[in-house]
Amino acid sequence: MILGAASIAEKIPFLWPEIAAFLATCVVMVVGLSPNLGTRRLCAPIAGLGLVAAGVLAAFTTPEGTGPLPFLMPFAKVVLCGVGLVLLLLASGVVDRDEEAVIAAGKATFNPLRTNRAEFYAFFLFSLTGLMLCASADDLIWLFLALELTSLPTYIMVTMSRTGRDGARSCEAGVKYFFLGALGAAMFLYGFALLYGGTGTTSLRGIERAFVSQSGSGGINSIAMVGMLLSIVGVGFKIAAVPMHLYTPDVYEGSASPVAAFLAFVPKTAGFLAIILLVSTMGWTFARDGSAAGGHSLPQLVLLTLWVMAALTMTVGNVLALLQKSVRRILAYSSIAHSGYMLVGVIAGPGDGTSITRNGIAAVLFYLLCYGLMNVGAFAVLACLDRKAGDDSPELETVDDLRGLCSSHPVLGWTMVVCALGLMGFPPLLGFFAKVPLFTSAIAAGEIPLVIVLGLNSAIAAFYYLQLVAAPMLEAPDTTVRTEPTGHAARPMAALISAASVVGVAVASGPLMEAGAKAGGKPVAKKPAEQPKRPPSGPSGH
Amino acid sequence: MLSGILNSLAALMPAAEAGGDLLHPPKGAMLMLAVPVLTLVGVLACTICAVARVRTKLPAWISVACLAGAFGCVLATFLGYEGPRHAVGFEWIHLQWGGETPRGGGQVPIRALHANFGLYVDTLTLLWMLFVTGLATLIALYASEYMAGDVRTAGYSRFFVAFNLFVFSMSCLVMADNLLLLYLGWEGVGLCSYLLIGYFYKKPSAVAAAKKAFIVNRIGDLGLALGIMLIFVKFGTVEYATLLADSKFQGFLAAATAGDFASIPWDIQLIPALLMIGAFGKSAQFPLYVWLPDAMEGPTPVSALIHAATMVTAGVFLIARTFWVFQVSEYALPIVAWIGAITALLAATIGMAQFDIKRIMAYSTVSQLGYMFAGLGVMTSVGAAFHVFTHAFFKALLFLACGAVMHGFAGQLDLRKLSGVQKMPGWRIVGVTMLVGCLNLAGFPLLAGFWSKDMILAQAFAEPGYSAVGWVLLLTAGLTAYYTFRVYFRVFVGPQHFEPGDEVHGHDDAHGHGDHGHAHAEPAHDGHGHGDHAGHAHGSGGGQHGFHPHPPGWAINLVLVVLAIGAFAIIPLNFIGEHAGHGGWAADMVHHSTAGPLPAGAGHAAEGHGGGHAEHGTFLGMDPHKVMYYVSGVVGIVGIGIAFVLHLAGRTEAARSRADGLLPALGPIPGWAQHKWYVDEFYDFLIRTPLWVAAHLFHLVDKLIVDGLVNLFGFIPRALGKAIRPSQSGVLHGYALAMAGGVAFLLLIVLMAAL
Repeated sequence: MILGAASIAEKIPFLWPEIAAFLATCVVMVVGLSPNLGTRRLCAPIAGLGLVAAGVLAAFTTPEGTGPLPFLMPFAKVVLCGVGLVLLLLASGVVDRDEEAVIAAGKATFNPLRTNRAEFYAFFLFSLTGLMLCASADDLIWLFLALELTSLPTYIMVTMSRTGRDGARSCEAGVKYFFLGALGAAMFLYGFALLYGGTGTTSLRGIERAFVSQSGSGGINSIAMVGMLLSIVGVGFKIAAVPMHLYTPDVYEGSASPVAAFLAFVPKTAGFLAIILLVSTMGWTFARDGSAAGGHSLPQLVLLTLWVMAALTMTVGNVLALLQKSVRRILAYSSIAHSGYMLVGVIAGPGDGTSITRNGIAAVLFYLLCYGLMNVGAFAVLACLDRKAGDDSPELETVDDLRGLCSSHPVLGWTMVVCALGLMGFPPLLGFFAKVPLFTSAIAAGEIPLVIVLGLNSAIAAFYYLQLVAAPMLEAPDTTVRTEPTGHAARPMAALISAASVVGVAVASGPLMEAGAKAGGKPVAKKPAEQPKRPPSGPSGH
Repeated sequence: MLSGILNSLAALMPAAEAGGDLLHPPKGAMLMLAVPVLTLVGVLACTICAVARVRTKLPAWISVACLAGAFGCVLATFLGYEGPRHAVGFEWIHLQWGGETPRGGGQVPIRALHANFGLYVDTLTLLWMLFVTGLATLIALYASEYMAGDVRTAGYSRFFVAFNLFVFSMSCLVMADNLLLLYLGWEGVGLCSYLLIGYFYKKPSAVAAAKKAFIVNRIGDLGLALGIMLIFVKFGTVEYATLLADSKFQGFLAAATAGDFASIPWDIQLIPALLMIGAFGKSAQFPLYVWLPDAMEGPTPVSALIHAATMVTAGVFLIARTFWVFQVSEYALPIVAWIGAITALLAATIGMAQFDIKRIMAYSTVSQLGYMFAGLGVMTSVGAAFHVFTHAFFKALLFLACGAVMHGFAGQLDLRKLSGVQKMPGWRIVGVTMLVGCLNLAGFPLLAGFWSKDMILAQAFAEPGYSAVGWVLLLTAGLTAYYTFRVYFRVFVGPQHFEPGDEVHGHDDAHGHGDHGHAHAEPAHDGHGHGDHAGHAHGSGGGQHGFHPHPPGWAINLVLVVLAIGAFAIIPLNFIGEHAGHGGWAADMVHHSTAGPLPAGAGHAAEGHGGGHAEHGTFLGMDPHKVMYYVSGVVGIVGIGIAFVLHLAGRTEAARSRADGLLPALGPIPGWAQHKWYVDEFYDFLIRTPLWVAAHLFHLVDKLIVDGLVNLFGFIPRALGKAIRPSQSGVLHGYALAMAGGVAFLLLIVLMAAL
């Protein structure tokens, strides 16, 4: 699989956003080591600029792709740059808080070996770059590398996210995350290898063609099929799907809230992009009641796997969240449940229409955006407040800590209320508009039992989300727990932006849904005259 | 000068377009659109007052201004009236469906539900709007003083919000060009009625009355809603013009005119029956009349405007507006006539035995509404509408006079505890205007109430087959005269005496109405009043805390005088126009509307005066249209005479009169009448008790079975969560094992399932 010079040149137009993000990463790494505090502080703005540049480039320079979902790339990249910016705001002050305070007090001098500011922002950008590369992937190796580029920095971000007494907890979380992540990576790497074995190519396009010819002549190669199933289940680690979900609550609880918010969006998006790309090589072209070609469904085995994963994931996530007292564990389990919801969209597939209400992929893409915003908002509230004195953890922990937040810290309290209602899918907030296309596309695809499971789970989820609504809104403040703002102005801003978008994006959801529908759409049928223009192997080049 | 302004306003209206008939009037009458707009402005402004905590009489003045403006618009339209007009505010509802081709072939026909916020302005509309907006203006002025006790609370603004909203809803109801907008208004007035009856929401009886009114009205509203739906299903439209011009409908009408009711399908004949139920509910007809007497718990201006003059005539309006629809059924109008007659008699007998003067007036309203329905039933829509018009004036007058008494005597309404009020200082105007109202209600010869009641009576005898209805109504006329003057003779003349009600208050305007303070109520005592003191009249006995009845102020007196003059002023209207002597102006108004006679070709004239009938009933062999003036006049005077003998002549104390001596001779009947013939108790037994039992049974089912199931479903996820919680042990190698095992297990299941 050596990429020829010509094919590299062909890929460059797809990669401008990644290149921009990478350049920003390099600058951040250097700037973060400056002995001058003012210069060090430029890390976050530079990272933000890089993301803005990447988003603009993604929106305006990306040409149409050649895969089964040619419009996926620009939408996904713009979305993740947008959410990435909010995450960046939220991440302000995660690292070096104590160190900088000590230096500012004149008790120590700057020591490049003791700071990790540059590393944190660099890893932040590396992970997002990996995520963008996932969206661009057209080859299994590329996809694997992109997935790992997304995940590896997050292991370290988790570990370094807390210091002092909590450092041990974040270290434990980081170690767990890393080992289990390696296990997941091993699993989908094995799956990729089997896919190669069964189709003879690592190019997604090539695999797609191989599947077409295989299903035309006696069914898909069983090695390739096992590979596909292993890949899906393995990538399930990234999206925290059952049975690869077990790490989620421990890791979310162990890491600082901004990083937990990051984990809930970035690796999850990467995982969904990977699953969509992998599954789309088989295409939603099979009959529902068998593996015979002709229809709008996935092959039976893949369908069954995804079906079981989706149903179990949302159910396990929701029922375990019911029992939790810790807000971050609740959000962790709810993140599992939301992955289950989104798998329903993957099962539904692009459908036959370009409308988002019939296009499951578009519904998933839109849901990812909405989930990202609502989730960041909820974590931001936790990140904005410190618990004072006499506690193990300076961050807010239990639902009780949120009591009366609407009266003591109105902005944060109402952000929590709005985001929790949004996550619950309460009309007319964003979560509602995000969830509706999932339902309608699944109904259009004929997955009625799954829709019922989805509906029941939404109802169960209401129980714990309403706790997050009731505690800040209806209950009296807890006088024993004193909470104070952390003093990072950017964090409440992130909360506010999230809350505003939970309301505002819902109002403007029409164009976004249309964009999502376009992104999840199938290639427009090309005129035969255009076909010969592209080389037979396509730009994946091998 | 005023009329000059109004005329110039009228000139502002778009010139009448050429062409158009009764059913398809040209566009115009845009000025009428100002009526709902102005009243809505009133609603908004009063709401702002409520929000801004305005604690002055500002909301009252805003309301009076808005309502007077609305009245001016109506008057200007009326003065510039040249024929029916149609004004479209905006497209309100437009739904369209059908048109697709089902698998079986063929095509589903396109259906559309179309309803504009459009006004249909003909003479019937104008007649109603004139007295609705006119009376609303006057009564808002009256209420500005009457409600003064609540100025310092939010209640004052709340009252006027609901008051304006009521006029808005009523104008939608009356001016609508389609049944859907009428229904909006219909529900709107019902809501406002509920809000205003329950105005003193801290008083349990007011809350109960409000609920009763609302619930009983729901029964009627259901009928109306079903009727409108059936019209839509059968004719595909809810607009009057389209409906009446519909060729299918015209066919039914022609069949009905020819007496061929057998050819009209039963479901078409069901439409008027359903509409009728709606009308019975809103206009308090038997068996749905029970809410109206209780509705007197509301403030008196509300009773006067909504529960006497305007809203309760909505049923009459509905039947008048859809009069043609009622003629496609063989039984609809006879039922209306008989229900009206029964209601008139029943309510009159109850009214005779009550002691609460406001309640007597309430039963008299029910009774008079019965007259109107009987009038509609015997095909004199003109007489019914004329009676609505005159009744609006004198009943509002009567209520407002009773309200002034209630206001002045701390809520005292018992006619046994008040006497000779007219002679007390400051009460002369109330007494005289009360007398005017009573004379009208009693049908004293030559007064407005006499002419309108007479038209209905005469037509009942003239219409063949309805002479029994006529006799019932004639008897009722006598009873009406008796109970009306029973009130007047007991309360306003005779020896002076009073006991204040239980809303004893400090002084003047700073007093409460039920909302606050009925703590000083003292047991009744039988001292004679000695109100001939100069200055204030004092009740005897020590329990009064120096109570002074305070006579009404300028606003109340002004409104009473204006209404009394109005009651006289409308008499000449009976003698102008094409129908001089037979409804006169009001008859013309109705005659030229959809409530008038059928269009050319239909012989079954709906005119009020029997001319041109092939058959003609008689009153004891005489032409009822000629003799009824004398007969009803005599009956009225006899009733007044009996009341005089029994309740005034020789009466020396408030609580007792000569009538009490007669009661034992009548056995238990007066007691039954006083208990309203036990209708409420009967309804309780027949409807409420079974529902109560059923409700408790269902509650048990709900609690044991439904809740049990729900709790079970709530329990399952938690139990499931508890069961799988140990998997989250936090141990790394446990997780790894679970993941690998899970993947293996999942793949195994999938592969097993596939094989």
